[in-house]
Amino acid sequence: MRGTLIVSAHGSDEQMEARLLLVRINSVLQFVLIFLTIIRSYVHASTTGQAGYVDKYITKTYFEKHDSLIDPEFDNFIANEIPLTLCKVLEDGNCVLPTLSNLHRSVIGEGSHRHLSSSIIFKFQPELKIKLVAHSCEVIMTERLPSGVFADPFELQHLVQRGVFSDAAVFGDTNLELPSFRSNRSVVEIHMSIGSKMLSRHHDKFEINCEVPLHARYPPLGLGFSRVEFGQPDLFMCCSLEVNGFKRSCAYLPTNNISDYKASPLAWEIPCGIREHAGVVSAITYCFALVSALLIVVLSFCYTDNKGSSKPKSL
Amino acid sequence: MPGISFQSLFIFSALFRVFLIIYGEWQDANMEVRYTDIDYFVFSDAATLMASGKSPYERSTYCYSPLIAFLLMPNSFLHQTWGKFLFSASDLLVGLLIHRILKLRGVPEKLCTYSTMVWLFNPFTFTIGTRGNCEPIICSMILWILMCLMNGHVLQAAFWYGLVVHMRIYPIIYALPIVLLLDPQHFQPGKKPVLVEWSSRALKPSSATSSSKTSITQYIWNFCINMITWRRVMFGIISASTFFFLTGLSFHLYGWDFLHEALLYHLTRTDPRHNFSIYFYHIYLHYEHEFSILEKLISFLPQFIVQLVLISRFALDLPFCLFLQTLAFVAFNKVITAQYFVWFFCLLPLILPWSNIKLVWKGLACIILWIGAQTNWLAWAYLLEFRGKNVFFQLWVASLLFLAANTFVIINTICSHLYSPLFQQLKQGGKLKQGYERI
Repeated sequence: MRGTLIVSAHGSDEQMEARLLLVRINSVLQFVLIFLTIIRSYVHASTTGQAGYVDKYITKTYFEKHDSLIDPEFDNFIANEIPLTLCKVLEDGNCVLPTLSNLHRSVIGEGSHRHLSSSIIFKFQPELKIKLVAHSCEVIMTERLPSGVFADPFELQHLVQRGVFSDAAVFGDTNLELPSFRSNRSVVEIHMSIGSKMLSRHHDKFEINCEVPLHARYPPLGLGFSRVEFGQPDLFMCCSLEVNGFKRSCAYLPTNNISDYKASPLAWEIPCGIREHAGVVSAITYCFALVSALLIVVLSFCYTDNKGSSKPKSL
Repeated sequence: MPGISFQSLFIFSALFRVFLIIYGEWQDANMEVRYTDIDYFVFSDAATLMASGKSPYERSTYCYSPLIAFLLMPNSFLHQTWGKFLFSASDLLVGLLIHRILKLRGVPEKLCTYSTMVWLFNPFTFTIGTRGNCEPIICSMILWILMCLMNGHVLQAAFWYGLVVHMRIYPIIYALPIVLLLDPQHFQPGKKPVLVEWSSRALKPSSATSSSKTSITQYIWNFCINMITWRRVMFGIISASTFFFLTGLSFHLYGWDFLHEALLYHLTRTDPRHNFSIYFYHIYLHYEHEFSILEKLISFLPQFIVQLVLISRFALDLPFCLFLQTLAFVAFNKVITAQYFVWFFCLLPLILPWSNIKLVWKGLACIILWIGAQTNWLAWAYLLEFRGKNVFFQLWVASLLFLAANTFVIINTICSHLYSPLFQQLKQGGKLKQGYERI
């Protein structure tokens, strides 16, 4: 806020004093502004763990600043707001990290409860193997779910307890009951450890398979089925290094060079209510309820208390 | 059928439930599909939060009174099955109370035992407690209230009534019949109300006195004139005070989260997802816009009319009235889930000794139609939810058939019931006003 102060050209003592006062006020305001900017940066660094390190969940930081998931804002968040310092911490000037060799995605199952399956193959240089095992590295996958599907956070916790993932969480709209047109999108974050067992299978690559259980919300009304399309996940490599007090450092692993996704976007067809049914369904529902109620009412009034004249059941 | 002692039946039921709880733990640990109800994990998580000083409403989908979470706090420091044992014990208590209530009304021991078996050996009821659903606690409280009224302990009944309405809203529908029953002709100072014996169900009211048909009208007339009686006022004050105290305390501790989740959610719930109610598809098709006041009134009208008529006709035969009211309430509700069926299952054994319905074929027809309609609905729901077929219309038709089956059961139950007021009418001075003569 650089204000330009327009001061009268008249050169009386009072006007000179007024001019000096305004300049001082301007300086104070600018000082306050700089101070607030420093405070904001400090707070920002605190919410991302300590400066240069990432908290337990990458996505949590996004939802601390935003109310809902908007793709361009999330892209900007990944590009500019996550401290991706893994290379620096590994003291690897060439930043030789595993690269994504293949990413195969599919939706498994039928009905409203399915699994989003991701098979990810990484290639790496053999000398990196020791570092990956030594530094408790893991692959973090953030899945931006389309509007219309959701993940149950408690179901994911059950999978974590069973050892399927090393950690998992859902951020955004986790209301399990609302239909899609009354709910917002959510993000699932899955953590998968890179263990020595995984790395020992091949000399220069490892594979991670991840199946995330998802559930369909009731879609907007249509002609029969509503189509929900999945985008690409965001992948990160994160390691906790002893030399840095086991703070987590991450690097982003780009997926846009994989052609698998671009060929055919992943889709899920969810049955939806048919708008044309509305009039008939409402009319018949009301009438049926009323007729059933009237039958009970009529019979109740016709019921006589002389049932005692009927032969009671014998034992 | 050889005689079975109630004690043997009770012990066997208890052991069976213990076995189911242990089996449930094994299944949860070793199989993909869990035995335990998902709601039990919700209760447990909420109880753990409460035990650590936090709000149970931090657990999403926990929409019950904090008392439920409080009762399950030992899950976190004793054993995770504490709640299941508590719910199963309540389930057994329901069986015990059914037996006691029937004995109080003079039902022969054999018939008492057979009627109690309808609860204890109902596959639905013995799984619901062992899977970790809290409905048996509510059922046991409803039956306890009935017993208190039968023993003349009105104030105690009022306390428990306020408590049960705080825990579950639906028993509010019992308020009017209970208040109608607290008539000075039944309750007189210093005297217990006199129960009508089961053996007199074959009798018709004496011609010297007014018939029961007009006496209901007379009761309603007396009620309007003598609405304000000491017992009715005290029942209202104590039950309302209990309800508001518990609700106020919960609000003080947990704020608007409690009010929204435990109270307002149930009062305003309109779930568009498929359930047994005939309204689910209608709600889904109109979910994008709000319902008008007129539409809300029209959907409430059948429920309201049925409840009012059932109360006005059968209030004095309280167990029968409560059964019919509950069955009708569930059948006409905007949302019906399977756990609601327990609400009337616990009252069914109380009316069986007064029913003329023959198992072959009318009784079987009711059972087959009710289960058949449910199975039909479940089949279409399976196609929708697990096969992804668009069968919304067929599922909605199945829900209409289910309402038809419920209506059929209600009608047949009324037709075959031997009306028997719970209490005898007393003159001033405690003498019986209404006698009975043999046919």
